[in-house]
Amino acid sequence: MLDVYTWEPNANSGKPLFCLHEKGVPFTCHYIDMGTHEHHAPEFLAINPDGTIPAIVHDGFTMTESTPAMEYIDEVFEGPPLRPADPFRRWQMRVLMRFMDNIVAPSLAMIASNRLAAPRFVGQDPADLRAKLERIPLPERRATWEKLMFQATPPEDIAESESRVAEAIRRFDSVLAEDAWLAGDDFSLADICVFATFYALPSSRDEEVNDQASPHLMRWLRACHARPGLQAALAMGKGFITQRAAEIRERLGVSEAAGA
Amino acid sequence: MMRLHYAPGSAHSAAVRIVLAEKGMACDARALDLARFEQLDPAFLALNPEGMVPVLEQDGRVLAESFPIMLFLDETHPGPSLAGADSRERYRVHKWGKYVETHIAPNLAIVRWRALGGQVPEAARARLDRLPRPRRDLWRRAERGFDADTVAAAAAALDKAAERLAADLAERDWLAGEAFTLADAAVFPHAIQFEALGHAPSEPVARWLTRVGERPAAAALDKEFFPIATMGPEPARWG
Repeated sequence: MLDVYTWEPNANSGKPLFCLHEKGVPFTCHYIDMGTHEHHAPEFLAINPDGTIPAIVHDGFTMTESTPAMEYIDEVFEGPPLRPADPFRRWQMRVLMRFMDNIVAPSLAMIASNRLAAPRFVGQDPADLRAKLERIPLPERRATWEKLMFQATPPEDIAESESRVAEAIRRFDSVLAEDAWLAGDDFSLADICVFATFYALPSSRDEEVNDQASPHLMRWLRACHARPGLQAALAMGKGFITQRAAEIRERLGVSEAAGA
Repeated sequence: MMRLHYAPGSAHSAAVRIVLAEKGMACDARALDLARFEQLDPAFLALNPEGMVPVLEQDGRVLAESFPIMLFLDETHPGPSLAGADSRERYRVHKWGKYVETHIAPNLAIVRWRALGGQVPEAARARLDRLPRPRRDLWRRAERGFDADTVAAAAAALDKAAERLAADLAERDWLAGEAFTLADAAVFPHAIQFEALGHAPSEPVARWLTRVGERPAAAALDKEFFPIATMGPEPARWG
């Protein structure tokens, strides 16, 4: 029994979806609507008391850390290996995933949620918003949601995130100038980890991510978007992400995989 | 021959050295003095531009980041694996390896800086300019002194970490399972500092600290587990 409780095929929520589709592992997906704060509701808190998504439950074993869970999935299930055999390449894969998880993905999340989520809260009853905040178990998450709900993210923090994302785009472009994939000759968990937030950049950051400014990253984005497994995971969205992914494939000239 | 650049007082360095000793691996160990900011010497920054220990050199390759180094050592060297006995244990090993980086080390650095009255000596100030901007900015924040809210949030994070340790240790003797693993090596050098900083460990955590500390690999480093006012990984900027 493999159950995945998650939101859209995006960032941490998307990692188990991308990973399981790439391995060809069947699973049951339970959609947790972040838009209506289902991840802070008692039903989900019974599965993960931290109120963070995704949660992956395999034969009664619950995992709530998405990158360690990807290592577990790759180890436990049949299907193409998603970690390089060479230990040095594995080190490289893990260092890139750390950089992504700790520095780059939070910066992108800050930018995107201030652009997309924060405006939804304008004009809502502050008492209702406070009540929603009260239900968030982890203080660091509560602080982040509070900034979103009350439009209190300092502009200099967003500027800092912009600069970090720009730096990451340069770094990944130079890694991909050397190798086909982020950890060498083969597609790996590092590619999933980065693609889970970078899939939309040709549209959301087209001034930095294009064939002139970052040709190697673009080559890699086309290769990722053409993979049937990643396409199938992107097709699982219930919101705007699936449509946006299709538009990006069209923009990149990537064909739709059969059956995706 | 492997060469490890480490620093006494650096918990991340101690974690890697515990693994080396547990696996009985020889290594040319080069100590840096963090109090003198030797990690900002050009020769070391050429190895790791972030100016952070430990760094492992092997066969012309340079590896940074303690937990990925520990996994690398475990995967490349013979002897009993320290990565966990089965896939569930290995998940817990990775979980704790990540938690140390994201929730323990950055907050411990802030609490420690305040408790020890950390200061950047005049002679080291210009050296900070050699760091990449985000790392330099963190040091500049430390130099100005962390505000009360930041210190309080960091202290609360350490209490939460102590609770999580107690929860996992309530079910078993070691963090990931029935035997010592990389998770114990990764967390111990940080957690051993909690008590001196006013975060006395609960009973199961205290027993586990004793258990790890009595292992020859950790006992040999006994004199090096002192708290030092230095920055750890950057605290999370967005929950």
